[in-house]
Amino acid sequence: MPSFRHSLLFLLLTLLSLTAHAQQPACECFVKGVVKDQHTGQPIVGATVLIVGQNNGVFTDENGRYELRNLCPGNYTLECRIIGYNPFQQKVDLTAGHEENFNLLEQEVHLKDVEITAHRTDAPSSQPLTTISGADLDKTRGQTLGESLKGVTGVTTLQTGSSIAKPVIHGLHSNRVLIMNNGIRQEGQQWGSEHAPEIDPFIATRISVVKGAAGVRYGSDAIGGVILVEPEELPVDKPITGELNAVGFSNGRQGVLSGTVQGGLNFVKGFGWRAQGTIKRGGNIRTPDYFLDNTGISENNFSLAAGYRNKGLGIDVFYSRFDTQIGIFSGSHIGSVTDLLNVIKNGEPFVKSGFSYAINRPNQNATHELVKAETHYHFKNGNRVQWTFARQYNNRNEFDLHRPRNDSIAALNHPELTFKLTSLTNDVVWDHKPVAGKITGQIGVSTLYQYNLMSGRPLIPNFNQFNAGLFWIERYVTAKWELEAGLRYDYRTLKTYRIVNREKIADQFDFSNFSGTAGATRNFSERLSARLNVGTAWRAPNVSELFSDGVHHGAAAYEKGDATLQPEKALNSIASVKYAAPKWSIELGGYYNYIFDFIYLKPQPEPILTIRGAFPYFKYTQTDASFKGIDVSGSWEFAKRTTVSSKLTYLRVYDERNDGYLVMIPPNRLDNALKYQLADRGKWKDGFISVGNLLVAEQKRVPANSDFLPPPKAYSLWSLQAGATLKVSEKQHLEIGINVQNLFNTIYRDYLNRFRYYADDMGRNASLRLKWKFGA
Amino acid sequence: MKMNRKLTWMLLAAMTTAFVQCKDSGDEVEPDDENELITSVTLKFTEQGTSNVSTFSYKDADGDGGNAPTKFDTIALKPNTTYTLAVELLDESKSPVDDITKEVAEESDEHLFVYTPSPAALLTYTYGDKDKNNYPIGLTGSAKTGAAGNGTLKVQLRHQPGAKNGTPTPGSDDVNLDFQLKVK
Repeated sequence: MPSFRHSLLFLLLTLLSLTAHAQQPACECFVKGVVKDQHTGQPIVGATVLIVGQNNGVFTDENGRYELRNLCPGNYTLECRIIGYNPFQQKVDLTAGHEENFNLLEQEVHLKDVEITAHRTDAPSSQPLTTISGADLDKTRGQTLGESLKGVTGVTTLQTGSSIAKPVIHGLHSNRVLIMNNGIRQEGQQWGSEHAPEIDPFIATRISVVKGAAGVRYGSDAIGGVILVEPEELPVDKPITGELNAVGFSNGRQGVLSGTVQGGLNFVKGFGWRAQGTIKRGGNIRTPDYFLDNTGISENNFSLAAGYRNKGLGIDVFYSRFDTQIGIFSGSHIGSVTDLLNVIKNGEPFVKSGFSYAINRPNQNATHELVKAETHYHFKNGNRVQWTFARQYNNRNEFDLHRPRNDSIAALNHPELTFKLTSLTNDVVWDHKPVAGKITGQIGVSTLYQYNLMSGRPLIPNFNQFNAGLFWIERYVTAKWELEAGLRYDYRTLKTYRIVNREKIADQFDFSNFSGTAGATRNFSERLSARLNVGTAWRAPNVSELFSDGVHHGAAAYEKGDATLQPEKALNSIASVKYAAPKWSIELGGYYNYIFDFIYLKPQPEPILTIRGAFPYFKYTQTDASFKGIDVSGSWEFAKRTTVSSKLTYLRVYDERNDGYLVMIPPNRLDNALKYQLADRGKWKDGFISVGNLLVAEQKRVPANSDFLPPPKAYSLWSLQAGATLKVSEKQHLEIGINVQNLFNTIYRDYLNRFRYYADDMGRNASLRLKWKFGA
Repeated sequence: MKMNRKLTWMLLAAMTTAFVQCKDSGDEVEPDDENELITSVTLKFTEQGTSNVSTFSYKDADGDGGNAPTKFDTIALKPNTTYTLAVELLDESKSPVDDITKEVAEESDEHLFVYTPSPAALLTYTYGDKDKNNYPIGLTGSAKTGAAGNGTLKVQLRHQPGAKNGTPTPGSDDVNLDFQLKVK
């Protein structure tokens, strides 16, 4: 329901007519311009621009540009149209050259093959945005959200085994990456590196990554970037359609089944609905040499959506529930440094097991519920107001390996850690009508109220938090240039409650900050374009950074918070150049993200003594850190139907205040693929075979003596993919995909997998994917 | 447009209801008595054939972190002497104080105490108890000191649910303390 498009209202950006010129000789007038989506600002390719009443029209090119030449002076009516958008007419009085830009509004009712962009979560257009949708998204089906994004340049994952994956953008993760789930800030216990986002990727038909600080539009915390998880527009007044996905994985003998049914209602005009559900079951994961005990997963998710459209008004309601139970590899729960050193010395886990679907302690159970209501109204004069309200409830239960010794307590089988986080968000955004025909913009207010209830082993305090943000973004668009600037102010107040020596202690924190963004996009030619963006974002320290005080099981580290921490501030510059020729294309991007008061765990010289022995002692400390990186991606169709593509992710991080490196920075990687497109044969379409190789370097830039084990060696993994679509009939097709990851069963460990101390990473994993679409 | 207005009001009402649910997380903070801690470990050495008892303790009343341990005694024993060694574990963060020794005894088939002197010649430990599977526990035993010297005695409580096999390898540490040991 991110839908935010509306009917029969369009805005028009009119233009400065260049009428001042002297009279031209007959029929040498021209009109040119660019056609864009009114809300996303993205160029529309293939739109028709024609002169009404004449047999004269052109299509827009890949940058949305058009040009009509050799016109005689006079009055004309131009019409711009493309399926999925409302057609738009404009009268022009031609005396010379003339620039006429169209900003089309998406139609309320969409044809299903139109690429849909939810403008409400649109990203700054001068910042790199990578979107996974369609066939590319299908290839990731069955995987977690974090894993699905692994293919994006500049994005890696922070893993706890193979079932818990958190996205890492340009080296930053957890609280520094914001996830917008269907237009709503995902609020879970993101501070935990073993807390994966509680989102079912099957909800989305588009998953986009905004790289770099994007604090102005999305609010605090978006220091590393933003992930947008967006479902398709609701099928208002459409017949019933649906799809069924089934994926089976050999490793873990995992099965995933997901279905969607959607449509309109015959007896209520303007109504659309969707129901979607996913079931996932998996057992113990196998490394090349052994099974990992207790690494099963079980997931049951569903979502319901309904929407109503009437003239300028749109109302959407959405409910989703995510429910997962994840087994944590039992060999990773250790009691002391001695235990950890023994496992490392042994080279493989002491705990051995066969295959099983059973999930025992240690495990984590998490449910996440989202209720969202959104309404918008288009005024006739071009203004638009949107109001979104959502409530999220995140319930996370973590069970330690050890049951309580006391039998009566053990019999209750209570989790050792329970977090219940309730978040209420409220956003009002006003899109003002275009000023001088070329400037569009929006002003918005967002608020968040949340409270966290925690029970069990003391880890983080209970807290209440209130945030309020006010932002203003303006955008100026011409055929060659696109400029934008924005400003935001946020205020946050946090009240925490914890028990110290059986007494309740309350603390209050207030944070506030400005963020800004300024960016430009320049289209030099049809093939060449460049972008530059400078943005800021900030992040208030979270409760775990303020108040952690205890041993982190699994990391064998004693972590202590600091209640005097100040917010982090990021200043991020990001530039990219893109050149696209018919047979080849290349995109080169570079960034420099300087984070003032970067919060990290600093190793302390003296260990801390506990009942389980002396643990290495880490304190949350602040420094200034720089993140410099390059993302390169390119592809070349060097022979008929055969394409080679490469992606390079390079990152260097430096602790500027202490002249050193920082821990847990993803190593550089190079991803290559060779793809052969098969010719269509009868009812078989879009067939392909591809071979891929991923090279991950050894992370050599680590602080000395900061870890029990040096970062793992470089590794190289091969993969094989194939797929095709069978068009059974006009309304039904079946897509089949085969994927083999870690083709040669290579033994490796990854630096950003927290299990690297205990066990090898996943071995070969073959999967078969079927997707049946009906009624389409 | 009448319909639209009605829907908008309905939404407004729904939202107001949702906001009424706001509550204060401070109302629900209270000490949790289900959480198990070990805050003190006391070793009781009784010289065999006498009633001479020496006790040595590690104490960290508020558990990990917070205040530093209040007590970490140096074990002082006579050379070439045999002692009966009993161990006591307490959780003093609860009231009343929780006797963890009793709980370990009840689940003795999941627990193993390991006493490791360094250098090894300082002390020899012999288990004096067995669980239902005939594996040692280490709640009681005997310790025979060697010639005079200084070193450490590592005291470990291995928690080995479902995996106890008489060796220290399976499971993980519930206690892992290096006491200073003086034999003179």
